[in-house]
Amino acid sequence: MAISTEKLTSILQSFVTSTTDIQGAAVVTPDGLPLAATLPGGMDEERVSAMSAAMLSLGERIGSELARGGIDRIFVEGDKGYGILTSCGEDAVFLVLADKAAKQGLLMLEIKRTLVDLKAVLM
Amino acid sequence: MEIMRLVVTGPVGAGKSTFIRSVSEIEVVDTDRRATDDTLLLKKRTTVAFDFGRLQFGPDMALHLYGTPGQSRFDFMWDILIQKAHAYILLVAAHRPHEFREARRILTFMKQRSPVPMIIGLTHTDCPGAWDAANIALALGYPHPARRPPVVAINANETASVAQAVIALVQYTWAGSLTPTT
Repeated sequence: MAISTEKLTSILQSFVTSTTDIQGAAVVTPDGLPLAATLPGGMDEERVSAMSAAMLSLGERIGSELARGGIDRIFVEGDKGYGILTSCGEDAVFLVLADKAAKQGLLMLEIKRTLVDLKAVLM
Repeated sequence: MEIMRLVVTGPVGAGKSTFIRSVSEIEVVDTDRRATDDTLLLKKRTTVAFDFGRLQFGPDMALHLYGTPGQSRFDFMWDILIQKAHAYILLVAAHRPHEFREARRILTFMKQRSPVPMIIGLTHTDCPGAWDAANIALALGYPHPARRPPVVAINANETASVAQAVIALVQYTWAGSLTPTT
């Protein structure tokens, strides 16, 4: 069955709009191509996708080579906000951009829930 | 111990990862992922962050080799890697002339960010339809044979051949550092 981009996009849109302090989200292939994205203005979908793939691949490499095991997520904490990368099955990577004000526990829970929805569409 | 950082760049499928794998003494740190774009026409997997290899060069020098991704969507990696490079090699598949423009684009990108020495490595020179060195240099923007970087033919699968290219790059870098450039 073909992957529905509209479904992916609508999941991302409802995730970004319904969760407070989330500024953007994207689903990309592990080789860095966009599948669906809802990003703040001025951010290029292609670049964001490529960066997400590069970061996750390096993180996974640290996991395996430096014996940290399988990687659940990569968490980038800046003074203006967070960038969180989660592997979304074999064929996708999920990126979330959140405001510094976001509550981390809530964020993780929302990401976990959205991952289930995304995986259902990607299956 | 002195460390010299060499960057291996070039278009998709030029042989960058193979180059590093052939010559590295440590197990290469690679970040390849299954390709889902046009890259598939050439190969199944593609580098998404960088390849890293190491080579001992004489008693007091180690070479660190960094291979870039080929696709331009990863140009932020090109930028990160070239900033710290002491020299770089541009790999070009001699039998795919339609990629020379992309190779030239990468070259321009690197030159804008770094003045370090570079050489050109030609791979796939034994394939049918391969261009000769002079014409490829011309296509990359070097019309004068006297004023172009060294061009070497490389079999990226052969350790000896890759080692020769690495030596050529290191020697060219040393030669450049002896004569003051203005």
